[in-house]
Amino acid sequence: MGTHIEDLVNKKIEQIKNKENVFDSGKVIRVKDYIIEVSGLENVRFFEKVTIWEKGMGYVNQINENSVIVAIVKQYEPIEVGDIVNASGEQFRAIFAKEAIGRIVDLFGVDLLTGRAFEKFEYINIENPTTPIMDRTQVKRPMLTGIAGIDLIYPIGKGQRQLIIGDKRTGKTQICLDTIVNQGKERKEKGEDIICIYIAVGKTKKEIKTIYNELLKRNALSYTTLVVATNDDKPPVASLIPYVGLSIAEEYMKKKKDVLVVIDDLKKHADIYREISLISNKTPGREAYPADIFYLHSRLLEKGCQYKNGGSITILPIVETKGGDITDYISTNIISITDGQIVLSEKEFSRGNKPAINYGISVSRLGGAVQEEKVKKLGAEIRRKFLSYLETKEVYELANVDEMSEDLRKKMKEGKKIQECLRQSKFSPLTNEEIIEKFEQFREET
Amino acid sequence: MMKKSVGRIIGISELNVKILLYNQDVKIRDVLSCEFEDHLYQFEVVEVHSNIAQAIPFKRVTGLKKGIDVNLEQSGLQMEYSKQILGKVYDPYGNLIEGKKEKSKKTRNVYDRKLSLEEISIKNEPLWTGIKALDFFAPLQKGYKMGLLGGAGVGKTVLIKEIINNVYKKFKSNAIFVGVGERSREGKELIDEMKEDDLLEKMSMVFGQMGESPCERSKAIYSGLTLAEYLRDEEKQDVLVFIDNIYRFVQAKSEISTELKRIPIENGYPTTMASDISEIEERINSTDKGSITSFQAIYIPADDITDEAVQSISTHLDGQIVLDRKVAEKGLYPAINVFKSTSKAIDPEKVGDLHYNLVQETLRYLARYEELEEIIAVLGIDELSEEDKMIFYRSRKLRNYFTQPMFVSENFTGIKGEMVDIKDTLQDVSDILNGKYDEVDEGKLLYRGKLNV
Repeated sequence: MGTHIEDLVNKKIEQIKNKENVFDSGKVIRVKDYIIEVSGLENVRFFEKVTIWEKGMGYVNQINENSVIVAIVKQYEPIEVGDIVNASGEQFRAIFAKEAIGRIVDLFGVDLLTGRAFEKFEYINIENPTTPIMDRTQVKRPMLTGIAGIDLIYPIGKGQRQLIIGDKRTGKTQICLDTIVNQGKERKEKGEDIICIYIAVGKTKKEIKTIYNELLKRNALSYTTLVVATNDDKPPVASLIPYVGLSIAEEYMKKKKDVLVVIDDLKKHADIYREISLISNKTPGREAYPADIFYLHSRLLEKGCQYKNGGSITILPIVETKGGDITDYISTNIISITDGQIVLSEKEFSRGNKPAINYGISVSRLGGAVQEEKVKKLGAEIRRKFLSYLETKEVYELANVDEMSEDLRKKMKEGKKIQECLRQSKFSPLTNEEIIEKFEQFREET
Repeated sequence: MMKKSVGRIIGISELNVKILLYNQDVKIRDVLSCEFEDHLYQFEVVEVHSNIAQAIPFKRVTGLKKGIDVNLEQSGLQMEYSKQILGKVYDPYGNLIEGKKEKSKKTRNVYDRKLSLEEISIKNEPLWTGIKALDFFAPLQKGYKMGLLGGAGVGKTVLIKEIINNVYKKFKSNAIFVGVGERSREGKELIDEMKEDDLLEKMSMVFGQMGESPCERSKAIYSGLTLAEYLRDEEKQDVLVFIDNIYRFVQAKSEISTELKRIPIENGYPTTMASDISEIEERINSTDKGSITSFQAIYIPADDITDEAVQSISTHLDGQIVLDRKVAEKGLYPAINVFKSTSKAIDPEKVGDLHYNLVQETLRYLARYEELEEIIAVLGIDELSEEDKMIFYRSRKLRNYFTQPMFVSENFTGIKGEMVDIKDTLQDVSDILNGKYDEVDEGKLLYRGKLNV
């Protein structure tokens, strides 16, 4: 031990003499997948960027008495014990470039389509402190999706966090893409200045390319950035990417713009975070997730808000469920953070009711507050009628139709018709006016 | 005042800072601070082992490094108080985030207050909320602790806001609202609404919301209780305390405990969970000087009501309203589970024979209804006996009757909110049970106030 310290001191003195290495350096003493332990680096800061000589890059995740734990975000070659690690003197940060609009970018600000870095850029924090409570104002402007089932029944407002939750292949991403594409219409027709950010967490490259092409085909790239961590990126990268996306969103919000952020998806994000936590020896809790799994998502989604300067961040996080169960740990955690949820069900999907929204368990906590006056009244009425129909349908399904009261029969017939009207195929947005025209017939004659 | 350095930072992780102490003056719960590159970092000591202290940071520690000296800021978290606390909004550490700072000399450690058995007072005085289901199934008395339990998104916050609206507005008594780990948007809306209606003057609020660090989320409750105790002990007031959401306090504590590498109990909860909860719950009590009536929202993680934390909290309650996802799915709000919602006041001696008997009869009907629903799913309604048919239809009416238009959700439902006197509720329930509304369509009973207009 003594000789080790002596060695370190002597080496340091020599380095200073030779005027090399202005910043601290250290040596890898342990490698555990993408988490490494480094001795030396006495003066690094928490969350400082460090480089592993010619082999990769990481950030300081923990500072111990005698060593430093580094999470690797980039690696070109296998890292081995004894490799030199250099401090950088600066925080690990992300990049914000205006030119990134219309492109697919990663955490390091590289345009993945060309492989080049952007020429003009600014460094931004990976994560900013939460927007203070007094800097927020009421969420009350509509964020139109063009989907009748949402705009009319469970509306979304600018600054709202609305969860899109459902099993595999029930159209979760599709709803978000529809919404992004509809913003093009809003921009064109109403001159709304809205920026969209699609954040991919652990998606395959093929999926990302498909989404890019869909958006390209529908002219949505002039106002959309894709911020992605692909399947084969290091887990620490995937765990940070949603924060980076939101940091970019905050840049726009502070410039008084409205931003729509899609995060696809948070269940995978939770699983990646669990992996990192377990590898770093954190105590597992419920379903082996660490205790701060709620905080991981709450501080992320709290970035969505209507800001006092008029800008806003609307977030549509996606969560994938199994067997239609939305009451599992991660789903309920996120439901308790968001301002409502659109639940998609496989049953509705296979019945051909698309979008496959399960209206019974979907919720918007803001409701009419974010709708235009004329839609609000109609929406409240349709929702009440339709929910009452769905509930009655269940109980009276086996009852003899002929013996039903007149009222009841009428209710059933009308409910069925509302259901038909709510069907809508992808990329065929309706304006508020068109929605009103379509559903006016169900209004009570008073 | 010159602050003297008491130690040096030797280790940093996200939620835990290790400090080498120079002397033994530092105790658990002391607040330490250091300034580094124009940035003030504060920590609270949670563990001292010989000359090494572990402390949890108030805010994020990005940019901090080893070797920095720390100062002793204060012994224990202190909160200033005076008559001017009402109408103000605080952060978890007792700093104002809204409202003008008043000169105040009095401060108190937020942890200190413990009640002796002698001090505790138990009085019986009913307190009606005007919410039919609550007054009927789980009536309240002054000084009660009422829990509002529910999974994610079944309407806890809406219900607690409705209670604030009804009870606080009606009685105009002093109130404290503590926001723990909930949405900032809702917190801001509450502040705005209270201001708009000129109601903030008798209420003070403390917020440690879900975007904040676990340290902040775990402190809000102590600061809130300190204010409530001041109103009770020194101003001799009856105080209403609203806590949304007390489960988040336990959650924050688990995060801290994990970071300290303490061995957890099931589901990752801290070993000290039960005592942590008792420590704060035992402070929420009435004395001869004044009463504290509290409403505590309790989140049920993963819809698992047997969750250890939920059970630990609910042992302290005098009454509870359990909100149920299955009821919410049917669009019936407040989505209460009538079988699990009750209070200690459901006793003929407290609410009277009439009320007590009606509750029993209603529960009998609704229990049978649940059984019948299963039978109907297989055989259809037509196969039921006449008696069962009657129970079936009347129960559906009862079920619909206990929905209620709420003031705070007018925006959502488009129906004006209503308060219902308990006498009317009892009359209506007895009428439904006696068949007065047999000819009325069940849909007509949805989202109404009282029936006998």
